[in-house]
Amino acid sequence: MDIIRKKFISARHFALGCAVTGALFVPLSAFASTLTVMQTEAPRSMDPGDQTATFTAAVLDPMYEGLLARAKDLTLQPALATEWSSDDAGIVWTFKLRQGVKFHDGTPFDADAVVKNFTRHLDTKRGLAASGRLRTFIDSVSAVDPSTVQFKLKKPYPAFLALLTTGPCLMVSPVADAAGTIGSKAVGTGPYRLQEYKSGEYVLETKNTDWWGGAAKGADEIKWTWTAEPSVMNMALQTGDADIVNPLPAAFAKQLEANPDMKVNKSDGSAVFWVSLNTKLKPLDDLRVRQALNYATDRAGLVKAIMQGNATPANSPLAPVTPGYDKTLAPYTYDIDKAKKLLADAGYPDGFSMTTIVQEPEARIGELLQAMWAKAGVKLDVQRMESGVWSKAAFADPAGKATANTGSVIASWSSGVNGADLQFRPLYHSASASPASANLGFFNDPKLDELIDKAASTLDEKARDAIYVDAQKEVNEQAPHVLLYTTQDLYAARNSVKGTWVVPGGLVVVKEATKG
Amino acid sequence: MKAYILKKLLALPLILIGVSMLIFVAIRALPGDPARMMAGPEATQEAVDNMRTRLGLDRSIAEQYGQFAYGAVRGDLGTSIKSKLPVVDEIAERMPFTLGLAITAYLLAIAIGVPAGMIGAIYRHGWPDQAVMLLAIAGASIANFWLALMAMNTFSVSLGWLPLLGATSWKSFILPAITLAVLPMAVIARMTRSSMIEVLARDYIRTARAKGVAPGSIYWSHALRNALIPIVTIVGLNFGSLIGGAVVTESVFNWPGIGRLLVDSVRYRDYPIIQGVTLVAVTGVVVMNFLAEMAIAALNPKIRFD
Repeated sequence: MDIIRKKFISARHFALGCAVTGALFVPLSAFASTLTVMQTEAPRSMDPGDQTATFTAAVLDPMYEGLLARAKDLTLQPALATEWSSDDAGIVWTFKLRQGVKFHDGTPFDADAVVKNFTRHLDTKRGLAASGRLRTFIDSVSAVDPSTVQFKLKKPYPAFLALLTTGPCLMVSPVADAAGTIGSKAVGTGPYRLQEYKSGEYVLETKNTDWWGGAAKGADEIKWTWTAEPSVMNMALQTGDADIVNPLPAAFAKQLEANPDMKVNKSDGSAVFWVSLNTKLKPLDDLRVRQALNYATDRAGLVKAIMQGNATPANSPLAPVTPGYDKTLAPYTYDIDKAKKLLADAGYPDGFSMTTIVQEPEARIGELLQAMWAKAGVKLDVQRMESGVWSKAAFADPAGKATANTGSVIASWSSGVNGADLQFRPLYHSASASPASANLGFFNDPKLDELIDKAASTLDEKARDAIYVDAQKEVNEQAPHVLLYTTQDLYAARNSVKGTWVVPGGLVVVKEATKG
Repeated sequence: MKAYILKKLLALPLILIGVSMLIFVAIRALPGDPARMMAGPEATQEAVDNMRTRLGLDRSIAEQYGQFAYGAVRGDLGTSIKSKLPVVDEIAERMPFTLGLAITAYLLAIAIGVPAGMIGAIYRHGWPDQAVMLLAIAGASIANFWLALMAMNTFSVSLGWLPLLGATSWKSFILPAITLAVLPMAVIARMTRSSMIEVLARDYIRTARAKGVAPGSIYWSHALRNALIPIVTIVGLNFGSLIGGAVVTESVFNWPGIGRLLVDSVRYRDYPIIQGVTLVAVTGVVVMNFLAEMAIAALNPKIRFD
C-alpha cells in the first residue's frame, strides 16, 4: 500500500509539473514568413540613441530611420530628409524634411520632432549612451518651419552627414521618449515596427503598413535571437532555428562553406585589432621598444591562426574601408633580428617583462603574441579577464595602470565607414587619454594631435585624405599600438535567404531580405 | 513540533535580510562598472558620469541598499538597467520556465537515482552495482555544458528528433531537463546506495528476512523508508546546485528562464536584475532547506528534540 501511494504521488507531481509548464506555450503565428537572425549578444536598448553596439544597431535598423540613410553601395541617400545644403564654411546646414511621415505610434514626423531628437543628446543631464560624439561638434538645432530644420555646428565636421545615419541620429518618437518607454519599446518611422520585445528571448518585428516608402520588401516578420555560445550558432543554422547568424565565428566558416544549403558571406570589415602600449610605463615609453614589439609580431601568422585567414594584416591604424586609408603604407615586417637590435639599442639586450590584459574571447591573441615576442626576449604576462573587469582595467587612468602594472591592452576599434576622425580621435589624440576616452596607452604626440584636428575641419576630401595619410604615417612611426589586423565581416545564411547585406563593421541589414 | 517549526520559520526573514545585504555589497565589490558598460567604449568620462547619476550609482551603498530594501518589502525590486522593465516583471515572466525545468529535472533525478542506488545496494559489488556506480561517477564529473552541446548535436542537429533551442513545445523540455538532471541523479544514486547498504545490515532487516518477508517488501517498505533521511537531506540541500546548473543549461539552450537572465545581466552589470534574481534564488534554496528539515523531522521524531 505504502509503495503504491508513493508512486502515485510522484507520478501526479510529474504530470502537474508538465501541465504547469505546458500552459506557458503560446502558439506562434504559423502563416507569416519569419526571418530569424541570431547574433552574439542581446540588444542593449530599444532606443538607438542609448547604445553604441553594432549588433544592437542591426536589430534596430529595420525600425528606425535617420535624415539620411546608407545604401547598399555605401553611398549616402535621402531618407527622412529629401534635400540638404550648407553654407560655404560648412557651419550651418539646412535640411528639407519628407512630408507626411508618421512614427509607429501615430506621432507626426516634423521639424519639431527632429529638434527634440537632437536636444535630448545635447542635454548633458540625460546621460544617453551615444550622445558624446554629437556633443563635440553640434552647437544647436532649430526648426525653421514645420518641414525645415537647421543645424549650427561648432566647427566644420566632415563626418556630419555620415553620422546622421547612425544610432544617436535615428529618429525616435518624441512622445515615446517623453514617456520614458523608448528604451524598452521601439517607436521609429522605419519599414518594420516592434511587435514584441522579450528581453531575455527575442525581438519580433512586423511590417509597418503605413511606411512612407510603400510596402516593405522583406519577410513578413523579422525575429532576432542571440546566444553567447559560438557552436550553438552553428547548430541553429543547420536545424533552421536561425536563417542568418551574425557574426559567424571564423572557426565554422570552412565547415559551412562545404554545406550546399548554406552560404558564407565575407566582406571587408572595419574592426581593427591592436595592442595599445602604455607609453607612460617603462620601458614602453621608449620608441625603440615599441617599434621592436611591432617587428616581433607575425601578423600573417595571427591572421591565419586566429581568423582562419579571414582578416587583413594591418599596415595602418585605419581599416581598408575607411575613407583616407592608404594601402601603400609599408607595414612593419616580421623581423626578430631587427626587434632584438632595437631592444639592445634601447638598453634591453636580454629583453624585458611586461603584462597585457585581454578579454576572454580574444585571449588567443595574447597567447600567440606571448610566443612570438618571447623570440625577441620579451616575456609577456597575459592576464585574461571577463569583459566587465577588463573594461574597468582598460579604461584606468595612468596612476591606476601604473599601480596595476598594466603594460598593454588588447582590443579592437571599429568606426565603420563614417570617417577617419572616428578612429584617430578616440584612439590617438592626447585629449582622449583614458579614462576620458579610448587612448588607452596615454599616447601624447602634439604633431599627431595637430594633424587630427586639421583633418577634422578640412572640408575638401582630397586635402583631408592627404592629411590623414600623414597621420597614418605618424602613428606607424611612433607605434603607440602594435597594429594587428582588420577583420572581415563574416555572416552565414541559409541558401534560401536573399537580399541581405552588411555595413562594414558587422551591421547586417535584413529589412529587404526574403526567405524563398 | 510546532515550536520547532515556529523557530525555523522565524529564522527565515533574518536569513533573507542577511543574504540580501551580502549580495548587495558583493556585486558592488566586483570589478566592473555598469555606467561604463552601458555608456559603451566610445563614451567620454563625462558621459559615464552622467550615466552613473542617471542609474543612481553615485549615491552611497547604504543609501542604495535602503532604497532597495524599502522597495523589496513592498514587492518592488527596481528597474532593469538594460531592458528598463521592472525587475519583478522580468523575473515573474521567466520563473515558471525555470521552475518547470527544475521540477522536471528533479523528478527525473529522483525517479531514476533512487531505484539505481537501491539496485547498487542490493547487488553490492555485483555487476549491476559496478555499472550504476560507474555511471554515477561519470554523471557527477561530466561538465553540464559539454553534455548539453553533445546532446544538442546528436538529437537536434544530426537526428532531428528534438528542438534545438528555446521553449516551443513539450519536446523542448527533454534535452535541458536530462542535462540538468544528470548531476543530482548521480548524487542521489550514490547517497541512496550508501544509505541502503547501512540499513540493509541492520538487525531488523535480518529479522524480517528470517521471518520470510518477500524481498520486494523488505527493500521498499522496510529498508527504503529508513534509508530516506539522508536522501531527503541531500535532495533538499542540492536544490541550490540545481539552480547553479540551471544557469549554465538555460544559457546553452536559450531557455527563457531566470538563469539565462542572470548570465545576460552579469555581463552588463545590471545590478537590479542580479540582485533580484539572486534574492529569489536564495529564497528558493532557503525554503527548500526548510522543507527538507520539516520532512526529516516528520520522518524521524528524534530530530525534533535536538
